[in-house]
Amino acid sequence: MVVKIDQDLCGHIDNCPMNGLCVKICEQGALIEEDNDVKIISEKCDDCNLCIQNCPNQAISKA
Amino acid sequence: MFKVERKGEEFRILTHNNEYCIGCGICVKVCPSKSLRLGPIVPIARGLIDMELVSINEATCVLCGLCAAACPFNSLSLIINGESITKLSNYPKWDILSIINEEKCIYCKRCYIACPREAIIFERYLPNSKDLVRGQIFIDEDNCIYCRMCEEMCPSQAIFLKYDNEYFQSKLDNTISVNRDKCIYCGVCKRICPEGAIKVICSTCTESDEIKDPIIEGKAYIIDNNCVNCTWCMNVCPVDAIDIVKPFKGIIEMIETEEVKCKGDACHACKDVCPCNAVEIIDNKAFTDPEFCNLCGACINACPQHIRYLNRKSMQLKNIESLSWKEYLNKLLEKN
Repeated sequence: MVVKIDQDLCGHIDNCPMNGLCVKICEQGALIEEDNDVKIISEKCDDCNLCIQNCPNQAISKA
Repeated sequence: MFKVERKGEEFRILTHNNEYCIGCGICVKVCPSKSLRLGPIVPIARGLIDMELVSINEATCVLCGLCAAACPFNSLSLIINGESITKLSNYPKWDILSIINEEKCIYCKRCYIACPREAIIFERYLPNSKDLVRGQIFIDEDNCIYCRMCEEMCPSQAIFLKYDNEYFQSKLDNTISVNRDKCIYCGVCKRICPEGAIKVICSTCTESDEIKDPIIEGKAYIIDNNCVNCTWCMNVCPVDAIDIVKPFKGIIEMIETEEVKCKGDACHACKDVCPCNAVEIIDNKAFTDPEFCNLCGACINACPQHIRYLNRKSMQLKNIESLSWKEYLNKLLEKN
């Protein structure tokens, strides 16, 4: 199980009220900033759900 | 920090002090108008974002003061006509305690080091080491070759060599002196001196009758507003000089299921938000030490797996006279 990002809800870092908090809170490196957007690296996801819980736009959910 | 004030028949001011707030969510739970909101406590605790732990909707707040009465950590206060409700006889009060008995305290500093909230003001005044030793030291400057071995080896840094270019032409010429307030007559300098230029006589043992027991004085007290009643200080105190009464009694547990497990080192949200330093990650699982947990509930809100459970059996909030207030405050004793 990994996570998915709802592209319509996501602020894509620039418009995120917390400037990409999901990238900062993921200590596994499973969410990274690439081309000014959030990229998921599924293999690294540990299902801790911290990104889901803390996304200010509630754009992240279980895949 | 927020402040809501309104003037009617009474002048009421509700303030939140973020400095003392631990993000436990107790205020949010008891607010009857649902005006309080808990912030993202995990990223705040990790320093990823700079936000207040609790925010308020001023428009819906009725300034009843339930939140202020329920906060065990002095973060919220309601002032009615200039008087805090903690001083008014008809309002609930926390019967909790955090105190250091200075008559028993030996100023060992263990409480100060263990406190996770920097809630202890600590100072101590140790005697001069010269008052605890006896002896004599002589340096024969005629034989000293200023090799600096004694200076480098002196364990109490009592020997000083000084080169003064105003007086000496060669950098090899120095003056040597002993600070007798620091010298403990251990004799290391005498033994290392290649020229036999130092004589030391230690008479600490033979004159021990003359050496008075040292008096250690100091200050140690707990700042109530910073203390979260975790009992670390009380537990590490070797002379039982500290009394702490926690706000709640009960249990905290983590219940994993087949589907949902603690993510341990990958998550550690509970550990990050715990104001009590009561959570440890052992073998990739969060372990909460009930000895130090104050049952505040911050970790319950922080856990992204929602597998932490709080069951408070009793609370030290006394003098709840109003039945409706009792109903709201008893929410704190409901199992989550």
